[in-house]
Amino acid sequence: MMLRAYLWLYLAFLYAPIFIIALFSFHSVPSLVFPFEGFSLRWYEQIFSNPTFTTSLWNSIIVATAASIGTTVLGATVALAMIRIKGRAKAAIAAICSVPIGLPGLFLGISLIIWFAQVGIGRSLVSVTIAHILYALPFFVATMRSRIEYFDQSLEEAARDLGATTWQSFRLVTLPILRPSILGASVLVFALSFDELIITVFVSGNDTTLPMMVWSMMRRTVDPTINAASMVAFALSLVVIMLGGLIYWLQRRAAIKSRKSISRVEEDEQVHRGTEQRSENVRPIHGFE
Amino acid sequence: MRLSITQRQRLLGGYLASPSMAFMLFFFILPCILLILCSFWTAKSFVIDPTFNINNYTRTLGAEGFWKTSLTGFQNGLWTAVASVVLSFPAAYYIVYKTANNNALYLILLSWFSSYLVRVYAWRTILGTNGLINTSLMQMGIISEPIDFILFSPFASVLTLVHIMFPFALLLLVSALRDVKTDYIDAARDLGASGVRVFTKVIIPMSYKGIVSAFMFTFILAAGDYITPQLLGGRDGVTSGLLIANQFRSAGNWPLGAAMAFITLFLFGGVYLIFTQMLSVLRLAPGRRYHDLDQGSKEK
Repeated sequence: MMLRAYLWLYLAFLYAPIFIIALFSFHSVPSLVFPFEGFSLRWYEQIFSNPTFTTSLWNSIIVATAASIGTTVLGATVALAMIRIKGRAKAAIAAICSVPIGLPGLFLGISLIIWFAQVGIGRSLVSVTIAHILYALPFFVATMRSRIEYFDQSLEEAARDLGATTWQSFRLVTLPILRPSILGASVLVFALSFDELIITVFVSGNDTTLPMMVWSMMRRTVDPTINAASMVAFALSLVVIMLGGLIYWLQRRAAIKSRKSISRVEEDEQVHRGTEQRSENVRPIHGFE
Repeated sequence: MRLSITQRQRLLGGYLASPSMAFMLFFFILPCILLILCSFWTAKSFVIDPTFNINNYTRTLGAEGFWKTSLTGFQNGLWTAVASVVLSFPAAYYIVYKTANNNALYLILLSWFSSYLVRVYAWRTILGTNGLINTSLMQMGIISEPIDFILFSPFASVLTLVHIMFPFALLLLVSALRDVKTDYIDAARDLGASGVRVFTKVIIPMSYKGIVSAFMFTFILAAGDYITPQLLGGRDGVTSGLLIANQFRSAGNWPLGAAMAFITLFLFGGVYLIFTQMLSVLRLAPGRRYHDLDQGSKEK
């Protein structure tokens, strides 16, 4: 299977550089080349005893948390709106919410820096958070998109026909259906914000975020502590993503379970369209191997 | 007056949409309008004079340096986009048609969350004068002097950008290929099409949108990047993105930077047109000639 081998190569190309950095972040000597001299945690000790690093890490966590809360509120309300609004208005909302994805980050950064100066918003962690929400909202909406398209409004109507108030039907019907995707998307936003540099460079004030600190280190020197700093950032992103994946999975399992216990005959609606057909039509196509 | 259920729903929808719409208006649409206006102003010793003139544009368009850096940025973007789409396609194909699970896709997406800077730094470590490649080659006795040209060159920028864009391109291609059901492919096979023909007449036209968006996304992100070229591109690797960023960071001529940014965006639009036209000429774009889709096959 040529394609299979190709996929492994592809994955190797993606992961090799990351593994190399991970390996050298545990190197006991300052050299960044083989032969490998042995493991030590000295670079991690060094980086965590650096107050600039801990402050930036903390700033990044604050900004990422605030940005994911803000984006989740905006993104969830817009998702609910897109369920209720049809036609041209919906298309307009969707378009406005997805345009920033197609623009270079540089462009968003410079339009915001001019705007903040004009409106009189100072550059601080607040302006960074606003920029991150703007950057992440399109990703949030894109993640929610399939949920929105396949949301069955008759479920809400049924709840109301059975005497639920608007609020009750939202709390007991709509929210449980959307919750897994909302949680998944908000975790994604955290990771995006935690790693964002291109826009942050323009809108940040004196408080640096972790990527900005690592970047300024890189511009100055080649220093083994950069490896450790980068790995800390990566590890934190991974933990958050894993956590999000776990929550998502547990939520879905709970949802499926509760549904089965009520012995609903309907199949669980697939998050990934196509998985169900794909499982049955996986077979080689002649002439492609 | 009592509103009908649908009207009430619409009204509620409107209320729900308002916070995010207000946010987008205030932090995206208005800033963009201001940026357009700003590009027609003049900056004199850090004081901005808001009288309308087109000097920034004429100055930029007449500057040889701008065109040179634009070219570098566009070369970065083009190489990155071509490499990302072409090299991710087989992987996407495998994930969609040959495996039943999504594990490979998750693995690839997971690498997307390794920090952007980690990758830039990793490549710098690998390609550097005393980096992995040079030292390994010297230890093996293949070269006696470290090769300098691999780091601080457009090549280093492109390699890193490709590495950064791969997961992105792959995700877009996978979601495009998911829409190309195997029934179509089987039908083409049954009617006697060869593998190549199936590929050019069915798969590519039907995943056209995904291919175009993957190409454009990677192109725009790579061509507009200013951090990778700054850290890896060297002196020949200065891109228009870096030039624009510097107008806002150090030089402090915001109106000029804004004008440059709009010219660059305009050029991006040009690339999009050329790319889609090229696909049409190559007969890879969807059209009535190939098949009728119920979902809006447009006559190009």
